[in-house]
Amino acid sequence: MKLSSKSTVCDAAIAVGSTLNQRGNTAVLTGGACVAIYTDGSYVSKDADFVIRGRVRQAALDEALGSLGFSRHGDRYVHPSIEFYVEFPPGPLAIGADLAITPVELSRGGNTALAISPTDSCRDRLAAFYDWQDRQSLELAVRIARHQQVDLELIRRWSETGGRLDEYQEFLKALRLARTARARKPERRS
Amino acid sequence: MVKTTSSPFGGDARTRVLIALRLLGSSFPRELSRVLEIPVSAVSRALAGLERDALVDGRTVGRSRVFAISPRYFAKPELESYLLRLADAAEDIAARTTQLRRRPRKTGKPL
Repeated sequence: MKLSSKSTVCDAAIAVGSTLNQRGNTAVLTGGACVAIYTDGSYVSKDADFVIRGRVRQAALDEALGSLGFSRHGDRYVHPSIEFYVEFPPGPLAIGADLAITPVELSRGGNTALAISPTDSCRDRLAAFYDWQDRQSLELAVRIARHQQVDLELIRRWSETGGRLDEYQEFLKALRLARTARARKPERRS
Repeated sequence: MVKTTSSPFGGDARTRVLIALRLLGSSFPRELSRVLEIPVSAVSRALAGLERDALVDGRTVGRSRVFAISPRYFAKPELESYLLRLADAAEDIAARTTQLRRRPRKTGKPL
C-alpha cells in the first residue's frame, strides 16, 4: 500500500486502519478525518485520529506505520508525501459518557478500516457544540447529517440524557434550514 | 520534599492541578501556579500530561491558554466527584481558591 501526495485523508486513514487491523490491533478512526469522509471532503482535516482498543506496544505501532512510510515525531506520525498526520489519542472509544460505540467498516481498493459511524461522528461534533458552544462543530454536524443517513432519534435521546434538548433543537433547526436552502438552490441549465 | 499527601493521578502536581481545576472550573497556568504555589513550568508540565491523557482540555482565549477538566472525558461526573472529595483533604488549595475574585467587575471601577 503506497501513499503519495495525491492520497486523500480517506486513503491514508483506510491504509493505516487496515494495516493496524491486519496486525491484530483494533484501531477505530475518529474525529475530523471521519467528518472529512462523511462530508465528501467539504471539510478538510489535518490529522487522522485513531483510538486503539486494547493495548499495543509503541514499537509495534512504529513498525506498522513505518511500513506505510510514516515516522514518529513525539506523539505524531508524519509522512514525507502527505500533509496530514496520524495520532492515537487515549481511549476508551466514547462519545461523552456513551461507551457503547459500534464502529462501521470503510473500504477502498480492497482495504478495510474501522471508523465511528456517521451518527456517532455527528454526535461527536455535537458534543463539542454542547460543551464549548463551538458553532463550527454545529455546522459540521449539520453537514454530516445532510450528506449521510444519521439516526436523529438516537441523537435526540442522547441529547436529552445529557440535558441538551435546547441545543439539539438548535441543531435540528439548522439542519432544516440547510436542507431548505439546498432544495431552493436553482438548478444549473446548460 | 517529604511526601505528605497521596497523589492518585501520578505526580503531586498533576493531582493538585486537577483539584484546583475542579474547584475553579477553568484556569490558566499562571493562576494555577499562584493557587498551588508551584512554578509555572511545573504546572505547564502537569497540564501537558493531563491533556495527553484526555483528562483536561486547553483552549486559547485571547493570548492565554485556559484549561478545564475535559467535558468529553467519558467518566467526567465520577472524576469530578472524586476530585471534590480529594479537595476536602487539600485545605490549602481550597483556602487559596477562595481568595481569588472571579465574579465580574465593572469596567473602570477602582479596586
